[in-house]
Amino acid sequence: MKKLFVLMLAVLTLALSACGGGSGSKDTSAQSEADATAKYGSSVLKLYLPGEYVGENLISNFEEQFGVKVIVENFDSNEMMYTKLQAGDSYDVLIPSDYMIERLIAGDYLQELDKSLIPNLSNLAEQVIGLSYDADGTWSVPYFWGSVGLVYNHENVDPAVVEAQGWSVLKNTDYAGRIFIYDSERDSFMMAFKALGYSMNTDDPAEIEAAYEWLREMNATMSPVYVTDEVIDSMMNGEKDIAVVYSGDATVILDENEEMSFSMPSEGTNIWCDAMCIPANAENPKLAHEFINYVLTYDASYDNAETVGYASPNAQVLEEMSTQEDLYAGNEAYLPRSDGANDEMFHDNITLQRELGKYWIRVKAEN
Amino acid sequence: MKQFRSMTYPYVAWISVMIVAPMLLIVLYAFTESGNEVLTFRFTLENFVRFVTDRVFLSVLWRSLYIALVTTLICVLLGYPIAYVIAQLPGRSNTTMILLITMPTWVNMLVRTYAWMGILKDDGVFNAILSLFGIGPVPMIHTSFAVILGMVYNFIPFMILQIHTSLDKMDKNLLNAAADLGADRVHTFLRVTLPLSLPGVVSGITLVFLPAVSSFFIPKLLGGGQYVLVGNVIESQFLTSGDWNFGSAISLIMAVIIMLSMYFTRKLDVSVASGGKE
Repeated sequence: MKKLFVLMLAVLTLALSACGGGSGSKDTSAQSEADATAKYGSSVLKLYLPGEYVGENLISNFEEQFGVKVIVENFDSNEMMYTKLQAGDSYDVLIPSDYMIERLIAGDYLQELDKSLIPNLSNLAEQVIGLSYDADGTWSVPYFWGSVGLVYNHENVDPAVVEAQGWSVLKNTDYAGRIFIYDSERDSFMMAFKALGYSMNTDDPAEIEAAYEWLREMNATMSPVYVTDEVIDSMMNGEKDIAVVYSGDATVILDENEEMSFSMPSEGTNIWCDAMCIPANAENPKLAHEFINYVLTYDASYDNAETVGYASPNAQVLEEMSTQEDLYAGNEAYLPRSDGANDEMFHDNITLQRELGKYWIRVKAEN
Repeated sequence: MKQFRSMTYPYVAWISVMIVAPMLLIVLYAFTESGNEVLTFRFTLENFVRFVTDRVFLSVLWRSLYIALVTTLICVLLGYPIAYVIAQLPGRSNTTMILLITMPTWVNMLVRTYAWMGILKDDGVFNAILSLFGIGPVPMIHTSFAVILGMVYNFIPFMILQIHTSLDKMDKNLLNAAADLGADRVHTFLRVTLPLSLPGVVSGITLVFLPAVSSFFIPKLLGGGQYVLVGNVIESQFLTSGDWNFGSAISLIMAVIIMLSMYFTRKLDVSVASGGKE
């Protein structure tokens, strides 16, 4: 019901703003465009981010408020984004993940942020300050953060079993044929490493081999179905009983299907953060700073958090989302834990990633 | 004629930029590996060795060829009678039927495959019908049945169209002549219609087999990622592992297999055509 209401509101706003735009505002928009050009050196901002990852009205509000035009481009994976940067494509703001930011910093693809242009940095929640990939926030500003966990149907799976077995519940043959595994070597090896008590950043060949065996056994005994984004719809419809899901997607699933619960295994999980950066070759860094600052405002962060469902980096929004009854209070997937002793972030390691990629295709191909 | 030669230049330019250059890049990637800082790449055969010496990859290749062959076979067995029946129809309904056959291809293949996901699901259309009779739910999605069904569904129009075209342009007087000479309907079909339509079957086979052997999203969506085919391995090399060299090597191996199969179907085509003239 809430969703419908938000949708109607969005349509209404859109219609109103369209009307407003139609009634001879051409001169004023030309005027504001000239103002923006005078102030920032250009009136166009090129934004490069994952698909469906921005608030419904954020872009249009920003455009209106600052009299600029935003060109949005989406990427399917961090690797795809990296390939385009390598090819020399220029953007003003990028939103990659933690480990990729490490790679971009190492490769001199980013420029240092001018913090004096981003006063709203003071809005950041303490959980996203000082993250290891960019400890003093020289290069990036958090955009969304979250974890990876298990969504399960508590009608069919005993919560006590999930809590007790953690990731190993995915090898519990009581649930064979009833699990979704996220089809990515990174997340799959993460859970295998954690189930075995290793660090998920390990490059010890013996530990990788052990994790590979763990996954092979899971593949052989559980007949899992490997999915990516389809998992959201499938779990909303209750097609399977257990699934590996990103926390933000889990929030949406739990919101729609009351039979679903979320668990972050105590063995540890991946805490991740996607953050806004300005590439070294950005054509319009001034406006990029303005955009980053804008995203951190209460209104924009709220819009983002409400649409996308991931944990907001804005302290006030995070607080409201996770405590207000009509929002996500009681939704155990929304707020990632910050006290998990075994939780980690990924660190960039291309050779390890390729190695795991080779193993992962073998896990799946061995049927 | 000479004055028209210059008109081919745009075409040649288009081919070299859009087809030849990417192919050359794939070949270059396939025979190299990324090296150190000084020398950014070096030549190697290791990508190929890695593929052909690995039991897992060979089984993936085998599975892809097997599924593509089964798909092609089903398409011939289903497509030929359909094309034959349509070709017998009078003009108006003939065109209507062909229109109906091609209509699904107007919708994006990905969308159609997603529709099949909904149909084959445990609580999907088929299982809803079965449950009326107290059967099920029968697991259909994420099985090899679903993968082959999806492929047959997506590729059979190409088969039907090819066979239909060759049946349609066949001179009907040949049938009358055969009847005059005392052949019954079975004989006429086996001795006249079938040989004359074989070129259509052969090109239909090519058009179905090639996309089936390299398809990656049908096994991914309908097979639930468990039915890893060559296309999926290539996709993952480029999009997730970032190992373009290995991905290119597999692509090249596939290209060679496809070229060989085209060479043999061409030969078959020629022998069929000359056989018909005897």
